[in-house]
Amino acid sequence: MKLTKADRILIVILMLISLSSLFFLLGHTTQANRADVYVKEEKVLSIDLNQDGQYSVEGTNGKVNIEVKDHAVRVTQENSPHHLCSKQGFVSDSNVPIVCLPNETVIQIEGDTKEDTVIQ
Amino acid sequence: MKTEKIVELSFLCAIGIVLQILESFLPTSWIIPGFKIGFANITALFVLKMYGIQSMWLVSAMRVFLASLLQGTLFSVSFWLSASGAFLALCAMSIGYKTGWFSILGISVLGAAFHSIGQVLMVTWIYQQFFMQLFLPVLLALSIVSGLCIGALSQLMMNRWKGRKSI
Repeated sequence: MKLTKADRILIVILMLISLSSLFFLLGHTTQANRADVYVKEEKVLSIDLNQDGQYSVEGTNGKVNIEVKDHAVRVTQENSPHHLCSKQGFVSDSNVPIVCLPNETVIQIEGDTKEDTVIQ
Repeated sequence: MKTEKIVELSFLCAIGIVLQILESFLPTSWIIPGFKIGFANITALFVLKMYGIQSMWLVSAMRVFLASLLQGTLFSVSFWLSASGAFLALCAMSIGYKTGWFSILGISVLGAAFHSIGQVLMVTWIYQQFFMQLFLPVLLALSIVSGLCIGALSQLMMNRWKGRKSI
C-alpha cells in the first residue's frame, strides 16, 4: 500500500483548496446585515446594515432617530427620562438588542448565520 | 452477466447497505453537519478494483437507493444529498481509475472529496442558503483523512481476498 505521485499531488491540492477557501469564506460571511426595528411588538422598519444612513421611527414619546455606521447601529436621539438607549451606543451583535422601553422600541440585529436545518 | 457475478455483486451491495445504515447511527454529523466517514465506500472501492467501473456504478446506485428505502428517507432531502454526493464521487472515482495515476488510496480520497462537494452543492441549491459553504473547507480537510482510512481498509480487505478463489 503506497501513495503514488498523483496521490500526493491530489492530497496537497485538496489541502490548499481547503485552506484558501477557509480564508476566503471567513472574510465574508460573519457579518450581520440586517436590523429590524419594532415599535409596540410590531415590525416597522428593516434596516440594511451594509449601507450607512439615518432613519427615524415614531415611538410612543415621539421620534426615535437611528444611525447606521460601519455595520453597527445606534440610537442618536429620542425622548425618554434616562436616555438609556442612546447611551448604549453602537451595537453590532445579534445577541444584544437595543431596547428603548419608554418609547416601546426595540432594535434587533438579525444575522443570517442561524442554523435552521439539520443535515444527515 | 454470469449468475455467479450477479450473486457476488448483490452480496457486496448488501454489505454496503448494512455499512451505510450502521454509519447513520454514528453521531458524526452532529459534530460537523454533512460529515461521514464513508464506510459504505469500502464496497464501492472493492467492486471497482475487482469488477471494474460499470459494476461499481451498479452496486453504488443500488446501495444508495435501497439503503434510503430501508431507512425510510427515499426521495427526501437527505436522499438527494446522498445521491448527489454519490454521483459526483462515482464520476470522480471512475475518471481517477481510468487515468491509472492513482492508487486505491488516491481514488478513495477523490471519492470522499467529491462526495462532500456534491453534498454542499446540493444543500446550497435546495435551501438557497450559503451557510453550508462555511463547512466545505473543513469537510474537504476531513475527507483527506477519512478517504485515506477507507482506502487503506479496502486495500487490507483485498489483500485478504487474494488467497481465495478469484472472482
